[in-house]
Amino acid sequence: MKTAIEFKDIKKSYDDKVVMEKFNLSVSKGEFVTIIGSSGCGKTTALKMVNGLIQPTSGDIFVNGENFRNKNQTQLRRNIGYAIQGSVLFPHMTVEQNISYVPNLLNKRDKEKTKNAVLKWMKIVGLSEDLKHRYPSELSGGQQQRVGIARALAASPDILLMDEPFGAVDEITRGQLQIELKRIHKQTGITILFVTHDISEALKLGTKVLVMDKGKIEQYATPSELLQNPATEFVKELVKKERRTCYLPEEQLFTCKFSGTVGERNSHDTK
Amino acid sequence: MIKDIWSVFIDRKEFFADLLFEHLEISLISILIAILFGGLVGIFISEFQKTAKPTLGVINFLYTIPSISMLGFLIPFSGVGNATAIIALTVYALLPMVRNTNTGIANVDPAILEAAKGMGSTKIQILFKIKLPLAMPVIMSGIRNMVTMTIALAGIASFIGAGGLGVAIYRGITTNNAAMTMVGSLLIALLALVMDFVLGFIEKRMNKRSVKAKKANRIMAAISVVLCLGIAGGIFINTQQKDTLHIATKPMTEQYVLGEMLDILIEQDTDLNVELTQGVGGGTSNIQPAMESGEFDLYPEYTGTGWNMVLKHDGLYTEDLFRELESGYRDSYNMQWIGMYGFNNTYGLAVRREIAEQYNLKTYSDLKSAASSLTFGAEYDFFERDDGYDALCDTYGFKFGKTIDMDIGLKYQAINQGKIDVMVIFTTDGQLSASDVVVLEDDKQFYPSYICGNVIRAEVLEKYPELKTVFEKLDGLITNSDMAEINYSVETENKEPRDVAEDFLRSHSLLQ
Ligand SMILES: Nc1ncnc2c1ncn2[C@@H]1O[C@H](COP(=O)(O)OP(=O)(O)OP(=O)(O)O)[C@@H](O)[C@H]1O
Ligand SMILES: [Mg+2]
Repeated sequence: MKTAIEFKDIKKSYDDKVVMEKFNLSVSKGEFVTIIGSSGCGKTTALKMVNGLIQPTSGDIFVNGENFRNKNQTQLRRNIGYAIQGSVLFPHMTVEQNISYVPNLLNKRDKEKTKNAVLKWMKIVGLSEDLKHRYPSELSGGQQQRVGIARALAASPDILLMDEPFGAVDEITRGQLQIELKRIHKQTGITILFVTHDISEALKLGTKVLVMDKGKIEQYATPSELLQNPATEFVKELVKKERRTCYLPEEQLFTCKFSGTVGERNSHDTK
Repeated sequence: MIKDIWSVFIDRKEFFADLLFEHLEISLISILIAILFGGLVGIFISEFQKTAKPTLGVINFLYTIPSISMLGFLIPFSGVGNATAIIALTVYALLPMVRNTNTGIANVDPAILEAAKGMGSTKIQILFKIKLPLAMPVIMSGIRNMVTMTIALAGIASFIGAGGLGVAIYRGITTNNAAMTMVGSLLIALLALVMDFVLGFIEKRMNKRSVKAKKANRIMAAISVVLCLGIAGGIFINTQQKDTLHIATKPMTEQYVLGEMLDILIEQDTDLNVELTQGVGGGTSNIQPAMESGEFDLYPEYTGTGWNMVLKHDGLYTEDLFRELESGYRDSYNMQWIGMYGFNNTYGLAVRREIAEQYNLKTYSDLKSAASSLTFGAEYDFFERDDGYDALCDTYGFKFGKTIDMDIGLKYQAINQGKIDVMVIFTTDGQLSASDVVVLEDDKQFYPSYICGNVIRAEVLEKYPELKTVFEKLDGLITNSDMAEINYSVETENKEPRDVAEDFLRSHSLLQ
């Protein structure tokens, strides 16, 4: 399998403070990598190195086999969708203009195509069409986040960087968005780096999960590998709860003694 | 007063309309240049923040220079007239423009900029798609401040011979016509208010964000840009006439009338077109450099002033020195004195007629015997100056019985009421012609002579020899009492300089 993104011996420090060291990671094309770790461990930093917003202090980043340093970064970024932590929409642009921002940078001519793309993506992320002419300040937090996601996807990039994109949406919408994202990933073969704080989301969405702590990689593995063989104490602690969650069919759920239905059945028994 | 203002305005509608238009033109050009240039500088320093502090420092410094001195500094470089006014106004307009552009851009949320960069925008795209639109409200409020300020400030442009409503204000002040000054000021205020209203409207439209409103905005913007360019462009078309004689006058009532006479006679007797710049602020000190640079071709000047201020001699000028004065002008400046009007605008002593008759007074020396029983009046500073009261008394060996300080504006009243008997005057004071006084002869030449004539660039006279016949007509045309009467008509009877000039020429059969 081809490598889409490669971190080679990355070190990043601010003044004397080292926030990332000996960071080596290679992400295959078409992988859906979820990144999880405690706050301030360097997830956003890692993400921003992929599109060159942060330069490593030493080491190299390769995107599609090419060293990011040597490339026209502006061109490269247009093929990397970026859904920012806290969404950060352009406040002076309507929903439509926000979503079509990158397509407009790419091709100014084909307005019709862009318009249709906007409608398509709005539908996918679950925004109703009549929000098209609203400004970000006229949207709820969840709606804003969905616009941010649509904006990242609108130019059909090869790589998608998502920094806690579902933070501000409700549980039900989040579930829908997760399904949509999974579907998009399957259909397009896009490579995704997805930062989350929610281990169950990380396990559910990722084809690979990257666990980080204090700027270092704790484990990079498939979800099942992570659950079966946590590599370190940190990972073990992280997945402890998930290992004990049952995904049995509804009718057998209460046979699992770690399932949430157990208490109910017990109380039933005592009657 | 309100009635006066209204009638002045109605009588001279066209005059004011022209000035208003010119005012708008000068202001708009300065504003447009400041928006473009200031905007560029603002953008530049916001991109390269290291340059921001020094640049703003320099512009701040320029801003603190008082406008009068700024105009003074600029005259040697850009001469008198609209160009200098526009440069000065632009300099003042730069600060709000540069500062607000810089502040507006610098205050854009860095997270938004990072987002735009992360999505693959180029620097230019970030500037035009993100920074400028987000900075626009701050920039707009800077423009709004700057526009009202520029329109108000343009009022002083006439000080250096530029056009605009300042001309009316300045003329009103120098010819004692308060109503004209008021009309000029009110029109400036009105213009500033209207412009502010227009900008407020633009600001409001810009905040409308519906698609339809945006389309309408674009159309309106296009129309107003065309209009502005049209108005601003007018100034350049206007000034492209050939064979035009540029005449300047000093800010004195009599010079306004002389200017009109020159205008009338030259246009009547030759094919030349006259462009008259009336009441150039600072008088000789600003007109002479402009004559040297060829911006002005001729202006009425006084011999004594030329001797002391232009040729920079220290001594007292008397008409015996006229030949030296002429050769000094020819050798140093290649300019010539021509068309000596005949009147002498110098200091003098005036005595109430009954006193003059009682003591048979004709010259200053005659005062010797009578002085001790007379009351002498003059402005406060006359008693302090080196060439003032004491020097006068020493030269003629007299001493007045009593002296009184009084305000210039009140001294004619005082002599007419008999409160004073003798006073210091200017020999062409308008009030002289309405007062029952006798002007005595300065027989020991205590005061320098200030005979009025025209200074013209020799080249111009060579090129247009037909001017000589015009100047011949002016030779010895106007006596001291004529000039006093002329001043009286303008200052006290509130007649127009142009009308007074015409009447005078007609009564001397010089009009065809
Ligand atoms: N500009 C900066 N200057 C100094 N330190 C920084 C800077 N940006 C980030 N850091 C530090 O680098 C570390 C990693 O930051 P990063 O934003 O990658 O964390 P994160 O894993 O995304 O955290 P979170 O989950 O809270 O978003 C943090 O300790 C942070 O304090
Ligand atoms: Mg982060």
